[in-house]
Amino acid sequence: MELARPSRKTNGAGVQVEDTQICVVMVGLPARGKSLIAQKAQRYLRWLSIDAEVFNVGVYRRKGNKQPSADFFDVNNAEGERMRKAAAEAAVTDMLNWFRKGGIIAILDATNSTKARRRWIKERCDKEGVETLFVESKCDDEELIMSNILEVKTSSPDYEGQDPETAAQDFRKRIRNYEKVYETIDKDESDLTYLKIMNVGKQVIINAIQDYLQSRVVYYLMNLHIKQRSIWLSRHGESEWNVYGKIGGDADLSPRGEAYALKLPELVKQSFDPGEDHPLTVWTSTLKRTIATARHLPQEYNQLQWKALDELDSGVCDNMTYAEIKELYPEDFEARDQDKYNYRYRGGESYRDVVIRLEPIIMELERSENILIVTHQAILRCIYAYFMKEDQEKSPWLNVPLHTLIKLTPRAYGTEKQVFKAGVEAVSTWRGKGSVAKHEDPVEGVTTSLDV
Amino acid sequence: MDTLLTAEIAANSPRYRRRSSTFIDGVHDVPDEKASPMAPAQLYSTMSGRLFHSGRIAIVLVGLPARGKTHISVSLSRYLQWLGVKTRVFHLGDYRRATMGPDMEVPEDYFFINASATSVMLRQKILKKCREDIYAWLNHENGQVAIYDAVNPLASGRRSLAKEFQKHDVQTLFLESYVTDQNILEENARSVKISSPDFVGMDPDEAAKLYLKRIDMKIPHFETMNEPDLNYVKMINAGERIDYNNVSFGYLSTRIVFYLMNLHIKSRVTFFARAGTSSSEDSFKADAPLGDEGRAYAKKMADTLLAHREAERAAVIAAGGSPAPLKPLTVWTSTRKRTVETADYLKNLGYRVRQRSQMSQLNPGVCEKLSETAMRRLYSEEVDKHELDPYHHRYPRAESYHDLAVRLEPIILELEREHNDLLIIAHESVLRVLYGYLMACDAMHIPKLKFPRNEIIEIIPASYQNEAKRINIPDVHIDMIPGSPEDIRIPVPPSGFVSPLSGLGTPAEPATSMSKVVTPSILTPGEKAENPLSRD
Repeated sequence: MELARPSRKTNGAGVQVEDTQICVVMVGLPARGKSLIAQKAQRYLRWLSIDAEVFNVGVYRRKGNKQPSADFFDVNNAEGERMRKAAAEAAVTDMLNWFRKGGIIAILDATNSTKARRRWIKERCDKEGVETLFVESKCDDEELIMSNILEVKTSSPDYEGQDPETAAQDFRKRIRNYEKVYETIDKDESDLTYLKIMNVGKQVIINAIQDYLQSRVVYYLMNLHIKQRSIWLSRHGESEWNVYGKIGGDADLSPRGEAYALKLPELVKQSFDPGEDHPLTVWTSTLKRTIATARHLPQEYNQLQWKALDELDSGVCDNMTYAEIKELYPEDFEARDQDKYNYRYRGGESYRDVVIRLEPIIMELERSENILIVTHQAILRCIYAYFMKEDQEKSPWLNVPLHTLIKLTPRAYGTEKQVFKAGVEAVSTWRGKGSVAKHEDPVEGVTTSLDV
Repeated sequence: MDTLLTAEIAANSPRYRRRSSTFIDGVHDVPDEKASPMAPAQLYSTMSGRLFHSGRIAIVLVGLPARGKTHISVSLSRYLQWLGVKTRVFHLGDYRRATMGPDMEVPEDYFFINASATSVMLRQKILKKCREDIYAWLNHENGQVAIYDAVNPLASGRRSLAKEFQKHDVQTLFLESYVTDQNILEENARSVKISSPDFVGMDPDEAAKLYLKRIDMKIPHFETMNEPDLNYVKMINAGERIDYNNVSFGYLSTRIVFYLMNLHIKSRVTFFARAGTSSSEDSFKADAPLGDEGRAYAKKMADTLLAHREAERAAVIAAGGSPAPLKPLTVWTSTRKRTVETADYLKNLGYRVRQRSQMSQLNPGVCEKLSETAMRRLYSEEVDKHELDPYHHRYPRAESYHDLAVRLEPIILELEREHNDLLIIAHESVLRVLYGYLMACDAMHIPKLKFPRNEIIEIIPASYQNEAKRINIPDVHIDMIPGSPEDIRIPVPPSGFVSPLSGLGTPAEPATSMSKVVTPSILTPGEKAENPLSRD
């Protein structure tokens, strides 16, 4: 049914530039991975240059009551009820203000567990011409819920500094209070646009998608899972071109690069948490130096080569040193420093281009569990920026040292990083913005490095 | 259910053939050796030729006739091919027609559970041939996805099918089109029955009801998918709701769901038109407005289009079709001034116009406005590279057609979403890519497609293949007609109009060269358009 939309959609003149705004409304009991999903969706959208913001009702609630006990969430607690409603009201008001300033996708992170609450949010958004997309995460898998409870009690601000056992008990009690009033999205709400994910994507229902951007968000969310896992990132071992200061190319490993390749299996073992011992899936690019770096890893590690993980194509500058580029293409050298994210090498790629070609990789990465990626500097910068929410201004300038293994573990409230140095010497391949035309040593305290 | 459509019995399987022209939808083409190794929007390639880290896949359709299965199969195949996934559709109906010949009727009990021995044998013979072709495609022709378009009404049959594919190391994803909304069913049935002599002179609503009743009689047992152990996607009421049961499937299945979220099964046409010209100096950066002659062109183009739509409707009514009013017409332009202003005339008539920033033209980079001599002098290596691969090569600071195709992905999905008839006013480079998608052109042909200004292109969807038609706009000044050159290598500007060309800002190919361009008005003799939803 074609609903009459408010003025934003049909602005009288009949002409509109594409300006869909969407409020993604999370729905679900505590410990169903809602915050994780919200964080990830925001990160992904920003990585694709779509303005996105999370509005977490819990943050507003904590302003009034820092660490409430489970009784606060009891439906019979009138004061708690009032304060929770006020927090939702404040979050929605801020969110709508943010939309008025041109925001594109807001994620309203709260339980939104009753039909009445969802209807209220939809009405508020309708008035502003903002579309709503309800995303329910429903899960009956006790084991999964328990692991989420463990995760939350250790990382949620609600339980900061408390005894973990007491926290877990209180949290379970809070969930029971929510269960009393929880209403899943059902037939009565078939006019809502919604995505219902059951048991982490085993069953999915998608209802009444209105436009492309919504389908895009749903597509991403369908690829997520909330199982605990880590991602290991490494550059290839030092290559012969690294030694000469040349960029691009398809060179072999240097002797020191080879030493790193031999050390890598041990380094991976070292990175495992106590009790963690499982084979990883290894992804490399199609270039010699990454394949060679991964070749000593255990046989049971499945290895896949991706063309999309090949280094940023530096076009005519491939196989050159920065000094040569500066001499032959001085304007390009300068233009690249000014806007490195958007600069595209002659006949080559920009960081923005790389992000587009990496999107399928990110999707696959979201679907997968434990993955070790052996790839190249620019590619690692983009993947790292995705997980660590680095902005586009900064990410192309990150220092990604050679012979270093980075382990990223996504958690509900951010991604955890661990760094493992191989202790094998290598050249630096980092170059500061606006500085000399050669690789240099990063400046401590100034350069953002992945290994700190 | 083509027995109900005696006019449609043409035993033309196998449907796959070598491409004969870019004017024919290539979705069923067998790629020839000269075809581009990369599909138009393919982002990367692999040694095995398979993408998305998926193995070989059978997508098995489920649903009664008149549920849009063939349309879904062909559309999905078009999209996957566009992304570079080697996909082919196997319509069981083709095999039935080919096996039985044009004069034999499908036995009454053909779909019955307790069918007679002869019917069962016939069924098995047809199935066997189709399966053999599927395995040949997946095992020996480097195919990755086989789409199997048949009714598959029973759960038991689906389970054994999945088992059989698994034995051949092929993953199965079922794709059901399930309709509970009587209005959708009757609309589909109405559009099917027009071509059937059985219903001549009957009230359209009565005919649709009768048609649906016959389907129920022919296929009395149908079980909608509810098998928790199988991977399936169920589209309910043409995508209003999608249920997805994922037991073991990879990335490709969510990509397919992404596409299906945007697909609908209604039939509507797409028109392509060029923007008018500017009378001031135009360039990619200047973004000049329309000149007087450009505005005159906009009116002429719009009047021609509107008259054409009315004439088509009159023809449908004359042929006994539905006297329903025309579908609303929506106009899309880019955000470039000349395309926006070309739509102004229609906007003032009350048509809905949307501006889409992704539809701005190919960025010509540093070579904009350079003569060919200058380009050869300044960038001789680039010109050589461009000649080798005009689709993927990009000049310094420029976009390639491939870049443009990737950038247009949201537009392509929205194109599938749109329910109204659609007029797209855009730069020729954008029209080339969109046409390349809708008509499944090989990447290498896309830069060479021609859209002269005195023609509106109409793309009519049919369930088997799209059809392209060209509508002449009378009295367009000859200097305004020519298209942009197929790339940005340009002959020296002719005198006359300052900027007969859009955004590349490049001088035209000499108008006389147009006589060499073959643009027949209906381009596919012998390739009659078929009604959507008319096949099983």
